[in-house]
Amino acid sequence: MPRILIPAVVLFTLALGSCSKSADSGSNSETFTQIESDVITDFVNKTGLPQYDSLVAAGKALNTAITNLNTNTTDANLAIAQADWRYMRQMWERCEGFLIGPVEAYDYDPNSDTWPTDYHQMDSLLGSGNSLGESDVQNLPQTLRGYHPIEYLMFGEGGTRTASQLDIRKLQYLVSLSSDLLNNNVGPLLNSWNSAPVNFSQAILTAGSGSTTYTSRQAFFLDITGDNGMAGICNEVGEQDQDGKMYNPYINKDSSLTESPYSGTSLTDFKNNIIGLQQVYMGLNGGKGLKDLVAAKNAQLDQNIQTAIASAVSSFDNISGSGGEHYEEAIFDKRMQIQQTMSQLNALQTLLENDLTNFIKTYVKD
Amino acid sequence: MKKFWIILSLGVAVYGFSRCNKSESFPANEYDDRLSGGVFTTLDASTQAFKQPFGGMTSRQQVVHNIGDGTFDQVFVAAPAPHFGGLGPVYNNIACVNCHRNDGGGFPTLGSSNSGMLMRISIHGADAHGGPLAAPGFGLQIQDQCLLGTVAEASTNVTYTDVAVTYPDGATVTLRSPSYTLSNPYTPLPAGYLLGPRLAPRLVGMGLLENIPEGTITSFVDAGDQNGDGITGKANYIYDTYTQRMEIGRFGLKANAPTLLMQVATAYQQDMGVTSYVQPEESCWDQIQMSLVGSTDESPELVDSLLNYVTFYVQTLCVPARREVNDSINRHGEALFNQVNCSGCHRQTMYTDVNPAINLSSQRIHPYTDLLLHDMGPGLADGRPDNLATGSEWRTTPLWGIGLLQVTNGGTGYYLHDGRARTIEEAILWHDGEAAKSKQAFMQLSGTDRAALLQFLGSL
Repeated sequence: MPRILIPAVVLFTLALGSCSKSADSGSNSETFTQIESDVITDFVNKTGLPQYDSLVAAGKALNTAITNLNTNTTDANLAIAQADWRYMRQMWERCEGFLIGPVEAYDYDPNSDTWPTDYHQMDSLLGSGNSLGESDVQNLPQTLRGYHPIEYLMFGEGGTRTASQLDIRKLQYLVSLSSDLLNNNVGPLLNSWNSAPVNFSQAILTAGSGSTTYTSRQAFFLDITGDNGMAGICNEVGEQDQDGKMYNPYINKDSSLTESPYSGTSLTDFKNNIIGLQQVYMGLNGGKGLKDLVAAKNAQLDQNIQTAIASAVSSFDNISGSGGEHYEEAIFDKRMQIQQTMSQLNALQTLLENDLTNFIKTYVKD
Repeated sequence: MKKFWIILSLGVAVYGFSRCNKSESFPANEYDDRLSGGVFTTLDASTQAFKQPFGGMTSRQQVVHNIGDGTFDQVFVAAPAPHFGGLGPVYNNIACVNCHRNDGGGFPTLGSSNSGMLMRISIHGADAHGGPLAAPGFGLQIQDQCLLGTVAEASTNVTYTDVAVTYPDGATVTLRSPSYTLSNPYTPLPAGYLLGPRLAPRLVGMGLLENIPEGTITSFVDAGDQNGDGITGKANYIYDTYTQRMEIGRFGLKANAPTLLMQVATAYQQDMGVTSYVQPEESCWDQIQMSLVGSTDESPELVDSLLNYVTFYVQTLCVPARREVNDSINRHGEALFNQVNCSGCHRQTMYTDVNPAINLSSQRIHPYTDLLLHDMGPGLADGRPDNLATGSEWRTTPLWGIGLLQVTNGGTGYYLHDGRARTIEEAILWHDGEAAKSKQAFMQLSGTDRAALLQFLGSL
């Protein structure tokens, strides 16, 4: 090679190298596509399925505890069942961070989590001679099934229930309620994600490549961000009108309007809803979350969302305070803190509905 | 002479203004075909597509809409209760949303909180205003659920039989033909009672349909079939018990509700047993169920404002945009839709009136309905007349949003008045009567053309 050609070759190589810079965005784009796939896969395998697995495990534990309570009706066993109910509620409320797919399409949500409880009808049922087997409970209206009738029976007005107050009818109803919740609700909900005929996991995993539910990956990301996903649960908790779970009892100063008034866990419910949202955004069990998608293109937006979520989650502690005050009391004496939390949730919702949604529409192109 | 010039000037001015109002002078091809609901169209094509509110509402209107939304989703419970009491004594469901899933259609099952279908009942004859004659002991609807301590009116049941349909090209489709029965009536059923199943319809663009001028609807009537296409159509007229006037029917599967206020109030009363200022009487007020629950409170169970808010909510729901309007197959399917004269009843384009109460200016909309009654043949007939509708006549279903029904309904769509059709194709194949020619023409199409027409419908 003539010496004169060496600089030329070097220059040519450099030029090619710089050409490959623009190919870099192509390679970045490929990387971004890979992140999209990873986030989808991890959402299914490390967030959605494990969360529903845990929910079913919690349902089994609650059913066992209530069965034990029925056999041996002591205050100690009642306390165990109450603790198991609280844990199952924690799992369920976190699963509400992603109310997409079968949970709403097949009514698993309203069949298990309808409130207010129809305690007038429950008292009528308990006072009647009607059968109270699992199949009987399965055919009752939604207001007489699921978490809240169990709550009403196990905690009672003001959370003052004692084991001695649980007569045969109440215990029989409790056993069937917990069996119904496990066998006709959370169990089939998990099945609808991991097996035919619904197999919702596959519907997500094949988003944009054959899924009839999600004809594009963008459609999935918009769903998990929108009304059925993170923004939706944010709105349900923080919306400042009569539909808001926090606002309604707050503005009416009426503790009977809270979701879980008997156990006093409404505030925990709210917080777990937003933790559920956080788990979707951040990813769970070491998996990627939407944060990885956003950070790849807009680190500032990712930071803003992470900060807004973390801030909203921690703000609930300002309401409960060090004494662990229930929301049913806080609506009277922690009004400023409640207003601050709702404002933070509104801001987070705006961030999700506007900025994150626009981000997805801009960058997830398939 | 001066008078002449004044009259002439006024005439010119009136003519000029009338020309200004000729919206059609704006060429049709310059409109955006996606805008099925005019400015009240949403681009949302997700599971929430039917739940999107009108844009441009004032903050007060947004509050009202949101409260209406919440009340629409609200479960009602037995009285006495501090909040949302008044359910029953007999009812079909406990919340509006349980039938209108995501503001869309319901599931064609009967008798549970998850069911979206109910059964109308009447006996032969007509009431003083020409409406259906209530079945003694049952009224106009079978309430198959009840509060504890009382009794449901009857159990409602449906079974299906497969019916194969073969196209001229040899392709086959299996339809399911329903059969409806009542069992366990709390009192003997009257002789010769008439049943009519009703699946909850989607709520798309209801506020726009309410504001289509009556003259537009009646202009679609072709009495005596003057144009020889086999389609006549007629308007239903209903006595509105609240306004105490005869009104044109727009809503309900036989166009038996004149306004959304009446539709919503009647649904609360009949479907949930919740009374209001528009429908102040329990559906079973003269039946044994009332005394069994010992209710003596006759005041409306739904607060006046909440009834108005839910009505406003339904009035201010957007229409989903058409998708892929420039796709060549969709364009071809649209042409075939017109060619086989589906558009003879499913009228594409019309204009709304102005209604300041919902911020509605005159909008060019594409509901794909004429809101008229048409004979749909014996296969679809329920045999139960309703005002001017005979037992085989049904109101033309608006098709806007039909392509998203599966999306909003958890992956499964159900079509026609009782959800017997599981696909749009099955629904077409059930058409008969005034639609017989169109159905035959559809069946004569090639498989590719049929698919194109169905794809077009799926884009609505």
